[in-house]
Amino acid sequence: MIKSNDLDPNFKYEISKEPGGENIKKCFNCTGCTVGCPVTEIDKTYNPRRILRKAILGMRKEVLSDESLWLCASCYICYERCPQDVKITEVIGAIRAIAQREAKAGKIKLDNPKPLFDHLFIDSVKKNGKWYEAGVSGTFMLMTKGIGGALGYAPMGFELWKKGKLSILPHTIKGKDEIKRICEEVEK
Amino acid sequence: MKLAYYPGCTLHGTAREYDASTKAVCKAAGIELTEIDDWNCCGALEAIFDKELSMGLSARNNFKAQKTGLDLVIPCSICSHNLSRADKAMKTDSGFRAKIEKALGEKYTGVNIKHLLDVVVNDLGTETLAAKFTKSLNGIKAVPYYGCLLIRPSEVCKFDNPENPTSLDDIIKSTGAECLPFTQKTKCCGGNLLMSKQDYAFILTKKLFDEAKSSGANCIVVACPMCHMLLDGQQEMIEKAHNTVIDMPVLYFTQLIGLAMGLSEKELELDKNMVSPAKVIDSIGKGVKKAEVKIEAKPAIEAEAAQ
Repeated sequence: MIKSNDLDPNFKYEISKEPGGENIKKCFNCTGCTVGCPVTEIDKTYNPRRILRKAILGMRKEVLSDESLWLCASCYICYERCPQDVKITEVIGAIRAIAQREAKAGKIKLDNPKPLFDHLFIDSVKKNGKWYEAGVSGTFMLMTKGIGGALGYAPMGFELWKKGKLSILPHTIKGKDEIKRICEEVEK
Repeated sequence: MKLAYYPGCTLHGTAREYDASTKAVCKAAGIELTEIDDWNCCGALEAIFDKELSMGLSARNNFKAQKTGLDLVIPCSICSHNLSRADKAMKTDSGFRAKIEKALGEKYTGVNIKHLLDVVVNDLGTETLAAKFTKSLNGIKAVPYYGCLLIRPSEVCKFDNPENPTSLDDIIKSTGAECLPFTQKTKCCGGNLLMSKQDYAFILTKKLFDEAKSSGANCIVVACPMCHMLLDGQQEMIEKAHNTVIDMPVLYFTQLIGLAMGLSEKELELDKNMVSPAKVIDSIGKGVKKAEVKIEAKPAIEAEAAQ
């Protein structure tokens, strides 16, 4: 049961202030997003309409800590079909941004490895200018699956390396200072 | 035709055969590519939690492309999506534009960004392309797989129908290969779930294989390195996870065009695909010729609109 005292009516405004989340209030819960969703097709408990409805109602903590948030495949089918132009894929991105900040502040716990991968990926881009596939994937596997799990991917990594598809060292660019300045500007 | 070229990280790594076949096919088709100087990663879909960072990373490449004075061509659907979105934001969001112009100390005037498939189908045209073909790929039975970001959202990718795209179909048909109907053509391969929920990603990809196999296809044709990574790179893992044999070669559309142009397997780096395309190459010229009577089935709405 939803108790109105537990709701945070400001949550929808918080999301709409986040880049990508601007249109959340336009949602009238028609379910068009969910009907076409490829993830819903294989897991009936995944329901983008429900995420939006809960967010608009103000079920802040539940939305932010629900694993569902990390199951969007970013396929843009709902974004394309939404009659209200809610831009759902980007709204999910905006909610993820809030969830990551809350997790960083120790207020919630995220139960999915995707945010870790995203951060390792983006950190490697900030550092090198390009994504460091071997380093990021290796670190991610070690952190999420342990040494045994990571070793399971070693044969595939070796196959890729043999074909000249995986570089052991990172590729870098000359304009790393420009990347740094861009990050500083957008993070202000 | 002269174009600026942004390969993106994967084309210098796991999708190197897409880079090689793009360059080989463009050269043969008379398209001169100039790789933009010192480009960086677009942030892929991993920066989705920070929209401005994602677009800021992409915008730097647009500045580099702007200096060439040429239109920019991108073979990767994700990079193409990100750089196009960044271009749009730079033109419409003055706050964002001010931040990036300040960071880079330059003014942005804009750049015309196109996916490679758009350039080949619409700017070059399948007829001009077919004039460069030296052999028919009769025998290849392909399903076209578009995936997501190549065609969606349509406010960013304007060159094909987001619900029923046909540009890859047109290319397959132009080579003399058979293009089979594929209802999964715009479904998601689950690429972006690989790190969050691998078993879901594999189920989604397996659905594509199931229909491709039941339709009688001997290969899947793609235009995105992420789709290729799932369909080709992860195929063995999917076979293990689902205890099945798939054995379905997955070709980049540039590799298919290259074969029709008579380019060598080495130039097209067909040996770099993880699933050997030997079966597909062997099938060339061995197709059963069908009766010449062909009925083009058009969707009712389209037929009505044409009247």
